[in-house]
Amino acid sequence: PVVTRENNCLNAAKACNLNDTCKKYRSAYISPCTSRVSTAEVCNKRKCHKALRQFFDKVPPKHSYGMLFCSCPAGDQSACSERRRQTIVPVCSYEDREKPNCLSLQTSCKTNYICRSRLADFFANCQSEPRSLSGCLKENYADCLLSYSGLIGTVMTPNYLRSPKISVVPYCDCSSSGNGKEECDKFTEFFTDNSCLRNAIQAFGNGTDVGVWQPMPPV
Amino acid sequence: RMKPVEGRGCLLKEVHLNVTDLGLGYRTKEELIFRYCSGPCSDAETNYDKILNNLTHSKKLVKDTPSRTCCRPITFDDDLSFLDDNNEDYHILRKHSARKCGCV
Repeated sequence: PVVTRENNCLNAAKACNLNDTCKKYRSAYISPCTSRVSTAEVCNKRKCHKALRQFFDKVPPKHSYGMLFCSCPAGDQSACSERRRQTIVPVCSYEDREKPNCLSLQTSCKTNYICRSRLADFFANCQSEPRSLSGCLKENYADCLLSYSGLIGTVMTPNYLRSPKISVVPYCDCSSSGNGKEECDKFTEFFTDNSCLRNAIQAFGNGTDVGVWQPMPPV
Repeated sequence: RMKPVEGRGCLLKEVHLNVTDLGLGYRTKEELIFRYCSGPCSDAETNYDKILNNLTHSKKLVKDTPSRTCCRPITFDDDLSFLDDNNEDYHILRKHSARKCGCV
């Protein structure tokens, strides 16, 4: 087998199942997100999204962020980063038969009040500022991570890309954007190439910005 | 349905295990707390149990050895989910661990 290295995402999953609250709400979303409802549909996406929102609402960030923002050794396709990608059960909560254009996805998000407000929070709290030490305009990683995790369970549900550096995006792209190409690219780059969000995720994963949360258990 | 009796010796115990320790054939590195019921139920026995005991000893029940009061789960713990080593399939265990015990 491969060289055994510390797998922080596996450690976070272990810690979750040893905590009654985390264990309960984890199974509560794994179940609808992995139950096939018909030959045509892999799951009931609406129920999966609802249970995912509950998970991030009810479980203390120490455990929920522990699984979502766990740090993995650089480089793709390690057991660690693949596990991190699987946290939200992407086959149900993320992927779809067709990949919509990001601007049309944004339009459909704005028709839902939960999605609209959470997307607005995300844009406000994870805005980059290259001149600040943190990389964020609002120098508050916790608020950025909270608004990012708040998008999980909406049509804007983001997930990690299989890329060597931390990069996330909702399930959409900028093909057939027409004259909206520039605006669409700006929208996706806020997810894929956002140094504030990336720094916030890394700081949580490395435990370097731990003061904002409850103390992490030794892993 | 008979109401379970609170036997004083029948207690909920727990042990920290790997999912693979359960012997259910899953391939994963995840872990769990397994809770089980253990302890004597002699103080919760009814006339029914005393009669069975006497009949067994006096060999009045030729082939049968009916079960006596047992320390068993009366409620199960929440479901447990874990990711398979293939990093693709999730599994859910239901009714795998005790939450409350009783002499039934």
